[in-house]
Amino acid sequence: MEKLETSNEDEAGTSREEVGPNDIKLIQEEILFNEETIDLDADAFGSEENVTLSEDSGNLLDKLNDQMMESVIISDSPNISEDDAGELGCLQDIVDEIESHEVLPLEQEINKECKESGNSTEHAGTHDSASSGQQHVEIKVVVSPSEPSPEAENTLQSPSSEHEHELVTPDSKQPQSDDVIPVCTIFSKGNSQPSFLGSDGFESQLIKSPSFTGEIKSTTKLQTQVVQPSPSLSNFFSDNGNTQSPAADFFDSFTTSSNFISVSNPNAAPAVPEIAHGSLTPESGTPTDPASIQFFVGNQSLNSSGSLTAEVSQSPKPFSQIHSVFAGSDDPFATALNMSEMDRRNDAWLPSQDTRNILISVATQKYSAVFIDKEKLTMPGLKFDNIQGDAVRDLMLRFLGEQAAMRRQVLTALSVEQTFVGLKKLIESKNWRAAVDLCGRLLTAHGQGYGKSGQPTNHTTDSLQLWFVRLSLLVKLGLFQNAEMEFEPFKNLDQPDLYYEYYPHVYPGRRGSMVPFSMRILHAELRQYLGNPQESLDRLHNMKAVCLQILDNLEKGLAEDGSLITISPSNRQASVQLWRSRLGRVMYSMANCLLMMKDYVLAVDAYQTVIRYYPEQEPQLLSGIGRIFLQIGDIKTAEKYFQDAETVIQKSPTSNEPQNQMIVLMNRAFLHLGQNNFAEAHKFFSEVLKLDPANAVANNNAAVCLLYLGKLKDSLRHLEGLVQQDPKHYLHESVLFNLTTMYELESSRSMQKKQALLEAVAVKEGDSFNTQCLKLL
Amino acid sequence: MDVNQPKQEHLLALKVMRLTKPTLFTNIPVTCEERDLPGDLFSTLMKDDPSTVKGAETLMLGEMLTLPQNFGNIFLGETFSSYISVHNDSNQVVKDIQVKADLQTSSQRLNLSASTAVVSELKPDSCIDDVIHHEVKEIGTHILVCAVSYTTQTGEKMYFRKFFKFQVLKPLDVKTKFYNAETDEVFLEAQIQNITTSPMFMEKVSLEPSIMYNVSELNTVITNGDGCSTFGTKTYLQPLDTRQYLYCLKPKPEFAEKAGVIKGVTVIGKLDIVWKTNLGERGRLQTSQLQRMAPGYGDVRLSIETIPDTVRLEEPFDITCKITNCSSERTMDLVLEMCNTNAIHWCGVSGRQLGKLHPSSSLHLTLALLSSVQGLQSVSGLRLTDTFLKRTYEYDDIAQVCVVSSKLQAES
Repeated sequence: MEKLETSNEDEAGTSREEVGPNDIKLIQEEILFNEETIDLDADAFGSEENVTLSEDSGNLLDKLNDQMMESVIISDSPNISEDDAGELGCLQDIVDEIESHEVLPLEQEINKECKESGNSTEHAGTHDSASSGQQHVEIKVVVSPSEPSPEAENTLQSPSSEHEHELVTPDSKQPQSDDVIPVCTIFSKGNSQPSFLGSDGFESQLIKSPSFTGEIKSTTKLQTQVVQPSPSLSNFFSDNGNTQSPAADFFDSFTTSSNFISVSNPNAAPAVPEIAHGSLTPESGTPTDPASIQFFVGNQSLNSSGSLTAEVSQSPKPFSQIHSVFAGSDDPFATALNMSEMDRRNDAWLPSQDTRNILISVATQKYSAVFIDKEKLTMPGLKFDNIQGDAVRDLMLRFLGEQAAMRRQVLTALSVEQTFVGLKKLIESKNWRAAVDLCGRLLTAHGQGYGKSGQPTNHTTDSLQLWFVRLSLLVKLGLFQNAEMEFEPFKNLDQPDLYYEYYPHVYPGRRGSMVPFSMRILHAELRQYLGNPQESLDRLHNMKAVCLQILDNLEKGLAEDGSLITISPSNRQASVQLWRSRLGRVMYSMANCLLMMKDYVLAVDAYQTVIRYYPEQEPQLLSGIGRIFLQIGDIKTAEKYFQDAETVIQKSPTSNEPQNQMIVLMNRAFLHLGQNNFAEAHKFFSEVLKLDPANAVANNNAAVCLLYLGKLKDSLRHLEGLVQQDPKHYLHESVLFNLTTMYELESSRSMQKKQALLEAVAVKEGDSFNTQCLKLL
Repeated sequence: MDVNQPKQEHLLALKVMRLTKPTLFTNIPVTCEERDLPGDLFSTLMKDDPSTVKGAETLMLGEMLTLPQNFGNIFLGETFSSYISVHNDSNQVVKDIQVKADLQTSSQRLNLSASTAVVSELKPDSCIDDVIHHEVKEIGTHILVCAVSYTTQTGEKMYFRKFFKFQVLKPLDVKTKFYNAETDEVFLEAQIQNITTSPMFMEKVSLEPSIMYNVSELNTVITNGDGCSTFGTKTYLQPLDTRQYLYCLKPKPEFAEKAGVIKGVTVIGKLDIVWKTNLGERGRLQTSQLQRMAPGYGDVRLSIETIPDTVRLEEPFDITCKITNCSSERTMDLVLEMCNTNAIHWCGVSGRQLGKLHPSSSLHLTLALLSSVQGLQSVSGLRLTDTFLKRTYEYDDIAQVCVVSSKLQAES
């Protein structure tokens, strides 16, 4: 037992020696240089610097000033402006006088700081201030809170104003319709506008037909595989090409799917065309819309939701007629119970206790909807009317002149059908701004337009799908603030009126959430793009908990929501599969979020969890983890993961597929990159190109390697050739960014070359193109 | 554009770009399910997007390399790399071009050009490229000076220079703390803080000991033959994170014996730190020699060589002491006195002559003790008197023993 000598120890222990910056020397310095010149000893440096700063660096400054003058003359050429401080990638040109003056005091400060920290025992943690600002998140907010644009009004205004009343009532009350209804309302509105229809009369008819299908579905108890849960959606979307006339389209969708043919054709077919022409529903025979809507309402829920609507002019007769004609079921409750398997599986969600209570009261009609606190309702509305605009065109106008700009042709919200078909066309052609706008129009038609936020409204499957598309596109466009604003009224997506149970008369027997699962993901992820990843994680963890609970319920032999419903084994299997993949999707988002937070350890863990849910992505994910380690600088661990990926690939039966071989080669290239061996990296990227000459990533990366090897011209030729030959793949912002950076490095004529790129972009790209990568401004 | 420039025109343009490592493009995955309104549209869009990972489009971190977007920060110990391109913007052939790149620091000027050879001619629209590298060894302002000289077709000699200024910052904050053990071992705790803005992978943090010491690193826990870092699986330092490294230094026997003790200010060694950041960007630093003030032991040092942990009540036990003459030239004549305390009693004769002790030599001494009280007892009450100087050195609390009753001892 020996005793530490504490008396002396204290002294030694408490004197914390700080090895200041100046004490830190470089290894070779002793070998290469005289100590005095390099060893910036704390004191020496501090005092010397402070003295010399005024003198020595004063001299230096003088020198600089000379030089500056000199260089000013020289570099009047545009290069200078390009070399300027703000210019990306390029060194700051000292010519910038202001800049140098600014730097000087800063420098002094740093020196002082160094000295201080050298003397004091405490560490001053402020050094990073100088070095901050490496990542800048540019969040551009385009908010134009103007009033609804006149054009929008032209087409949509008249119906929408009426809808507000009408839709509110019918939606909550329609007795037997399925989720399909909403599609149709919107759809019809959209359609009816461009077509000859008057603003009246369109919605009710369309509402009807889908509702039949819903019923029919349930009554006939079709196999789940056959049943298309929301035929309107998927069909309209998948059969985009076939028709121009919305009505025809509508029918196609029904007739093409085998289930519906048998059922709906005889009745629905005659009914709908009439509707499309603005006439009334055959059965009701009442001429005015409101009436036609309301007759649906009436028959059932006199007591419950009647409160919501002022007048319930119910005509039970027509309803029952329809019912008997189409559904052929005498017991509406039986049909209700037979909710489509797929609907139940997909829509399942577990509301919070509060929400659950309200939903139960609605179901048991303990009190009417009126008593529900307004706070608990979702009242979305467009927060900005029009983010339309085409940055490419604006740039053309500025750089290429009006004529060139005139030639730019992109689809706008007005130039396509005001339907889902048009919407799809816009998204496909990468005119996402226009698509956002079109979603807005369709939502306006649904009564959730600009300025409608905070006003009671009803939700349908399709209004929520439209919101989902609109918000997704906003996120895709990087307009996170805008998305956040419009997401706000949805709160945490757990309001009672976002559940089908809230509308027992519109969606009889249907349960679960109207909010698409993907919208929840989007909602959760959005916060991380706004600098609040912790909140994203919270939301994702909530989602994870629900997914796990649902899986647990399924395992226990219950339905997804924990109710006692018998589910056939195959359906249960399908449901487990669905929810497992959803859980995997949540984990994916978590991993991405953690990566964004730079919590690499947890992110890697999370990605490894993702592998369990998506085993087919194992090689890609392992490679991704490898790249994470490369990013941190941990080359050895990166290599290990790349090795793991190779092993997985070798074991798989498809190991010789070019796809897999490319992963291996790509990883090797990255590893060489991490070892500073650009020549080898280039070799491996070129190997990838032997397998797949069109591989955009390998082409781009090979070009980047060439630059680091000092072969600017080769690199440029390579990239330029690609962009010309295959604009579809290479007019991508990352490639263009590299290309423009090299243009800037190459010559003083980068401006012309960038403008040439702009022209290429103008021909190929839609309004969602991010023009920043052209670095024209 | 340059045509409009009113001032003197140069036929050649010089461009400089710092080559930090490229970065990987990250995309923003937005997905939907088949059943949602867009159907497979979103997934098709993502598959067509060249920046996504094929087969795993939801993965944020792509494979597309993008060139550095700004100058960024440069830190002491990193390598400054830069692309220098001289481009012939004119439509005439330019002759005898020489490009020179120098780096001016606060203390010196270094030539960085790989070659300063004169290029005989440069055709229109072609360029001379050079990639320079320099390991940054000073903090503070650096100025890259690029000079270009050439001859026009008319035989006119032209010359211009450009300056690029940048600041070199300090990447790490290093604090050290010494702990001296009675056995001449020294423990060094080094706190290393990342004061950059990006995560840093610590590839190597080692202590290069001075000639007098052997070092063992105490930063791994060895279980079942596998070394496992005390920092766990986290191999990197986030911005502002600090890590503590521990080293144990033992004086090499020849130094320990020769000097008897290591006294005064001694050089311990220096820390060698190697780190990596984005895509293997490497940095390396060494601290200056770390020094410690060895604890002073006075003229005579008494240290315990052996002592039992546990002894039985009222039974004698032995301890071995080492007495060292720490003075440089004075020979001592020592007398040992033992003063009994309440609990511990010395067995033996007090006032014993130890004889002459020469400078830097030591003697070993076995003493018998007996404790009359149970519990943890402190050994105190030794007095050494140097009869030449009549100076007395007191040694109290030199060690502790645990005293247990004889019965308990027997049982255990």
